[in-house]
Amino acid sequence: MSVEQGSVLVVGGGIAGIQASIDLSDMGFKVYMVEKKPSIGGRMAQLDKTFPTLDCASCILTPKMADVARKPNVELLTNAEVIDVVPTGDVFKVTIKKYPTYVDWTKCVGCGICVEKCPARVKPGAPDEFNEGMGTRGAIYIYFPQSVPRKALIDPTACMYLTKKICRACEKLCPTKAINWDEKEEIIELNTNAIIVATGYKFVNPKHPALSLYGYGVYKNVYTNLEFERLLDSRGPTGGVLLRRSDKKHPRRIVFIQCVGSRDVRINPYCSAYCCMGSIKQAVLAKEHEPEVDVTILYIDIRAFGKGFQEFYERAKTEFNIRFVRGKPSKIIEVPDTKNLIVVYEDTVRRTVERMEADMIVLALGIIPNPPPFLEKLGLVEPSGKVRVKNPSDPIETPIEGIYVAGMLAGPKDIPDSIAQASAAAMKAAEYIKRKVKVPAVVVR
Amino acid sequence: MQQTIRRAQTQRVLIVKPHLMSILKQLGATNISRCFDCGTCTVSCPFSEEMGSTPYPRTAIKYVKLGLEDKLVSSLEPWLCYYCGDCSNTCPKNAEPAEIMMALRRYLTTRYDFTGISRIMYFGRWRWLLAIIVVASLPLLLAWLLKGPVVTERVELATFAPYILVEIAGLTVFIVLATLLLINIYRMYKFTVGSLSGISLSRALIEFLKIVPLHFFTQLRLSKCSFKRYWYIHLLIFIGYGFSFILFVPLLRFTLTNEPFLFVHPLSTLGILSTIFLLIGGTYVLIGRLLKTQPIWKYSHHTDMMFVILLILVTLTGILTGIFRTLGYPILTYALFTIHLSLAAPFLILEVPFAKWAHLAYRPFALYFHRLRMLKEGLMT
Repeated sequence: MSVEQGSVLVVGGGIAGIQASIDLSDMGFKVYMVEKKPSIGGRMAQLDKTFPTLDCASCILTPKMADVARKPNVELLTNAEVIDVVPTGDVFKVTIKKYPTYVDWTKCVGCGICVEKCPARVKPGAPDEFNEGMGTRGAIYIYFPQSVPRKALIDPTACMYLTKKICRACEKLCPTKAINWDEKEEIIELNTNAIIVATGYKFVNPKHPALSLYGYGVYKNVYTNLEFERLLDSRGPTGGVLLRRSDKKHPRRIVFIQCVGSRDVRINPYCSAYCCMGSIKQAVLAKEHEPEVDVTILYIDIRAFGKGFQEFYERAKTEFNIRFVRGKPSKIIEVPDTKNLIVVYEDTVRRTVERMEADMIVLALGIIPNPPPFLEKLGLVEPSGKVRVKNPSDPIETPIEGIYVAGMLAGPKDIPDSIAQASAAAMKAAEYIKRKVKVPAVVVR
Repeated sequence: MQQTIRRAQTQRVLIVKPHLMSILKQLGATNISRCFDCGTCTVSCPFSEEMGSTPYPRTAIKYVKLGLEDKLVSSLEPWLCYYCGDCSNTCPKNAEPAEIMMALRRYLTTRYDFTGISRIMYFGRWRWLLAIIVVASLPLLLAWLLKGPVVTERVELATFAPYILVEIAGLTVFIVLATLLLINIYRMYKFTVGSLSGISLSRALIEFLKIVPLHFFTQLRLSKCSFKRYWYIHLLIFIGYGFSFILFVPLLRFTLTNEPFLFVHPLSTLGILSTIFLLIGGTYVLIGRLLKTQPIWKYSHHTDMMFVILLILVTLTGILTGIFRTLGYPILTYALFTIHLSLAAPFLILEVPFAKWAHLAYRPFALYFHRLRMLKEGLMT
């Protein structure tokens, strides 16, 4: 297949970006895929299992990651950010900033010797972003075990050579001499015919003043749901063992609080769509990890709308004995000596005010679309933070022809919907190029 | 209607009145349809873990949304709420549950009242203003018909307004108001407690003595609110009222005289203190309501504003009467005194049995009736 028909920039390397890139490259387009993090994979890579089938997230994602990286007409630009896009007729002029990794990725083979020996791994260490800051990593690290590309990179704020001019252990140990201290920020300019933006979402800040009553950051055993996911994952900070923060003991009573920062006019007025099923999944997984654990989900509505969701919800109740209580708590008290948490809530079905002691609380956090700054510069972001689309019945097309959105950036949704929307965006981009573009922008770099 | 309801109760069917929500919206519960029943408000309430009540504010809001009028009329929960605003602060939908509870108190006030005057005061655009004007003109009429000789050489207030006439008018108003209020309280009792079956009369009396005087005089529950200063302000106004009540009802013969005003006299001290307390408290609340500094003052129904404004005007005209009397301006004294009475009349006659001021009785009695209900239901012995 030739690549002369045009090129597409895909911004964001999560599941939506990956799917769009695979589809576009299969259709014969040149694809530039820009990801801010050192590896593609996005949020889905941080997940242990997916709902409603409890398939392992990696088993779906990793083959797609490997696939997209192997495509000859896909160019991966990780650890990089699109900083500017200028539409000029058929061609978008794109400026990309690539951050230094201090490792020559053409030489690095991802053997991980440097990662094991980096003295900064013990002290001072840096919070491990992939594990949501739980656990530490060294100054030189591989983002996560299945990283694509699986290359090491150096965090300049944690590296003792780059901060204090001592150490250089990695340089001595690297079998391929890949360490390059002179690497600088690089500006890449390229032309594309279309752009698909799939930069996903960020979570509501659990320390938002309106959420202070849940005590996140004050009470040690209050977790966000992504943190809890990392605890369930065998690649996580505890190796997949449920241990709580305060005393490294197994929790016996876990309470999930739904709609934290969703359907809340002070934060997000909308429903975040994923959290009901996400929490049910995590509750089931907690039961699978430790069958004797008691799980309560405090919810307002359970929105089980997708394929197999209602059945999964029923299974959680009947097969896994998860307790569903309709009521949102607004008082959480920490027991000083045990660091257990007393949750006070109204069971709105039984109309009783109840107290229960829990060992761990998981907050099902709402999500906010995460548009990149260039989209804002192009006037494609509404004041509410949502992406401006051409019309409400077309969630993919933006008012600028040639720029499409997909995945969580376009609105809250689950993984299957993100994948479907990414394929749709790829098709729209292809159709647009075939219909409109006279000058294919293909630069052989 | 009562019959239908009774029949429905025997048939275990609830009567639904969908228009209940629009009634409550007129009374200030403008955001009530935003509520999605999450229960956040219930637990944020400082009284949430108290015995015996159905969890509020959520349940009370739910009754309105479902149109369950008799459930609402029989509930005491709105009177157990003291409007600290914690629920409104935590509400994820800005439904303003605290203001809904306030609207429910307004609604219940109109339901307890049997004369229909309360409905005039709370609903309707301008009829409440007309009611005030009518009642305010009564003392003017009386003054014109019954005033004594107008002495202009010196201030002779008791000659202009003969003591015995003012006394009779005052006592009549007092007896009428007390009767109306007692009837309303009895209706409240019928709606909420129904009967004393299962409770001995002596027990009911003991509980009455234990609860009503304490809460009437101290408003103790208000001290549980996070905005504690409001309790002090409320107490200040209460004491101010108490003092002026003592001065101008049982001690009227010593206060309405032709004698010159003496500064060093126990009665004068009481009078000065009472006006200072009322003025400070009233101004504080008025400024709070105008600037909306606290959740409790964020929304002001016309009945709230009317209450504060009348309070301040009655106090101010009272002070001015005293000043002119001391300075020896006879005509000004008589005029101000007449205006003072004409403002005090609607303040007392309309507010005490029919509007906001009725809470002076409903609040302590609600606590008492709540206790009776708990005794009846066996929640306490």
